[in-house]
Amino acid sequence: MTVTLTGSETRAVPSQGAAPRTRPRRRVAPYLFVLPALLLFAAFKLYPIGRSFVISLHKTVGGTERFVGADNYTRLMGDPLFWTALKNTAVILAVQVPVMLALATGLAVALDSTLLRGRTVFRLGFFLPMVTGLVAYGIIFSVLLNKDYGLVNWLTGLAGLDPVPWLTDPLWAKVSLGLALTWHYTGYNAVILLARLQSVPAELYDAASVDGAGAWTSFRHVTLPGLRPALLLTTVLSTIGTLQIFDEPYVLTGGGPDNATLTIGVYLYQNAFKYFDFGYASAIAYALAVLIGILGVIQFRFLGEKS
Amino acid sequence: MGGAIAAGAGLAGLTACSGTGDTGQGGTAGAAGEQDKGRITVWSWQGPAAEMKALVPEFNKKYPGIEVTVEDIGNPAIWDKITTGLAAGGQGLADVLHIGVDYLPGYVEKFPGGLADLGPLGANAYRDAFAQGMWQTVSPDGKRVNALPWEANSAGFYYRADLFEKAGVDAGALQTWEETIEAGKQIKAKTGAHLLGIDKPASQADAANFFQMLLQLQGSFYFSLAGDITLDSPEAVKAMTLIKTMNDAGLVSDLAGGWNALMSSLKQGTAAVLPMPTWFGGIIQEQVPEEAGKWKVRLPPAVRRGGSTAATVNSTHLAVAGASKHQAAAWSFIEFVLTRPASQVQIYKGKGIAPALMKAYDDAVFHEPSPFFGGQKKGEVFLEALKAPSSAFNYTADYARALKLVTDAQSKVLLGGADPAKVLKEAADQLAQQTGRKVSR
Repeated sequence: MTVTLTGSETRAVPSQGAAPRTRPRRRVAPYLFVLPALLLFAAFKLYPIGRSFVISLHKTVGGTERFVGADNYTRLMGDPLFWTALKNTAVILAVQVPVMLALATGLAVALDSTLLRGRTVFRLGFFLPMVTGLVAYGIIFSVLLNKDYGLVNWLTGLAGLDPVPWLTDPLWAKVSLGLALTWHYTGYNAVILLARLQSVPAELYDAASVDGAGAWTSFRHVTLPGLRPALLLTTVLSTIGTLQIFDEPYVLTGGGPDNATLTIGVYLYQNAFKYFDFGYASAIAYALAVLIGILGVIQFRFLGEKS
Repeated sequence: MGGAIAAGAGLAGLTACSGTGDTGQGGTAGAAGEQDKGRITVWSWQGPAAEMKALVPEFNKKYPGIEVTVEDIGNPAIWDKITTGLAAGGQGLADVLHIGVDYLPGYVEKFPGGLADLGPLGANAYRDAFAQGMWQTVSPDGKRVNALPWEANSAGFYYRADLFEKAGVDAGALQTWEETIEAGKQIKAKTGAHLLGIDKPASQADAANFFQMLLQLQGSFYFSLAGDITLDSPEAVKAMTLIKTMNDAGLVSDLAGGWNALMSSLKQGTAAVLPMPTWFGGIIQEQVPEEAGKWKVRLPPAVRRGGSTAATVNSTHLAVAGASKHQAAAWSFIEFVLTRPASQVQIYKGKGIAPALMKAYDDAVFHEPSPFFGGQKKGEVFLEALKAPSSAFNYTADYARALKLVTDAQSKVLLGGADPAKVLKEAADQLAQQTGRKVSR
């Protein structure tokens, strides 16, 4: 501290005019303005992130925290349930996210079309699921999909179909989870894509039609390239969201049956708040963060390059 | 379609909490303040919360200086709320906490000092006041008192006497579960009702209650008293095999969805037997009052001929938060609710919650014939079980983990027809991997 102070003082000596003095003061002001935000960020983001890492290196034995180094991480590698959770999350990522984004793209194009009357109402309608409380919609879906008393099975029953064990069969539980996620997030992604779509110059479409391009051709060669940055954004956001997915499986299936819908988020929660194993839960959180980082980088490389 | 609404509220099931605990240590002694002043909050759930609320006016006659607020946090929501509070060093916790035996050892071990030691506040005076095994649960080391017992629930066998009669089965004569399975086949054939129901995909943690009861009737549990894993003991395999036999014979209805599915099943009469502990009698009476006289209760059949029919399968307790600023006042409330027979009798009358306080059973209410249960003296049935010799069970701090593995194993058996011995062995090995405990084989 002293050394720095002396250094700056000696540097200040040659020019003791007014200008050099005011310049640093002016530079301080912006920092003062962002200081509250920075402090909050440090207290509620940085500190927990750091603390969580420290916890991940500890284990509670007989009520006291004991440093165990990388034990929790090696244990993670050999934990079949972690791999089940990872696999389930990967399946959702590989199946649900592309389906949802394709649907959202279609929806965005439809909502952008001038042929559609009452577009604002539709836009609102598709976006509304996003603002529904996660737990509330989880409960609504669990009621709708109940095997014996659910509305969905009642309707399919009218059509003469057998009741589907939506939430109680390992495969159907995954499907139900995908349905709930798609209902919830498609509109949100469609709105992002729609915003981008509106910035695609109309001249490009005009030029395409002059060249004799049909609807499909102009979608492929004008709309899709125009959407690329928004698609990248929604893909990355959906990937991060899916990797962290917790609420839906927690409310709908509790991760069951027999861990068929156990996600990394749910497994993390179980370890922390059901088994009080905070060290292990923190290790899972860090594994998840690394995974998200890697996938994010890959997606930026893969999708971002061509734009 | 009306069932959709019944199935709706989904989450608010009463998780049963079971047995006698063994582990636990640490914690700060309660800083004794003034015993008759202060403002305290109590966290509990549904029925018990309502009963405690009802006791407050009487409590205030004795302690006018203590203001009590009883909050119904809901079960299972209360466990997350207590865990979060304890993890935050006691921040935001209520003064008095209602805790099930399945959570107590975990809280005590993982959050030392999270619960106050009730010994210095006066708890030791009640060492012999409760049902056997209860003191070991709340004070495993015999020194620190982590909580005071409230309910001591014995395994019960509630059954539809009319269905049994129609099928020509004498329910009172059933000595073993094997005989019961045979009876179940007859009931299914004659009345169409299942023998019993299980939450097959384990949508709630209490899906394993029946399995656990079969285990406890044999004096066995997930852990030995030394803390070793006994998840694949011969007793456990026997219990799971009985469940598989019932399921394969088509005698088990699916209660997927937990509490609400159980209630719908009760109302629709889909099962002839509800192998539930003491407190469930009150629920039956409340849910299907029009079926008075059709129901009866007995202790469950033994797992092996001549084996025990009595087991204390779960208990709940009141504890004081270590961070509470009004520990003495909180203790006064606990003492009033749990050690005064009149309070426990009133609670029993209100919700049928079985007291652990033995003196309460002197009251006539436990010895009266119950019109709902065909004139049986229901209270005496369970009192007999409480007095019978019963094993102590070591819940350990890893009970939640064990329970999860058990429910997964049970789902594999019930949904996929897996081999009981194989899935239980896998579960035991996995539990060992996760907890570092030894498997006792």
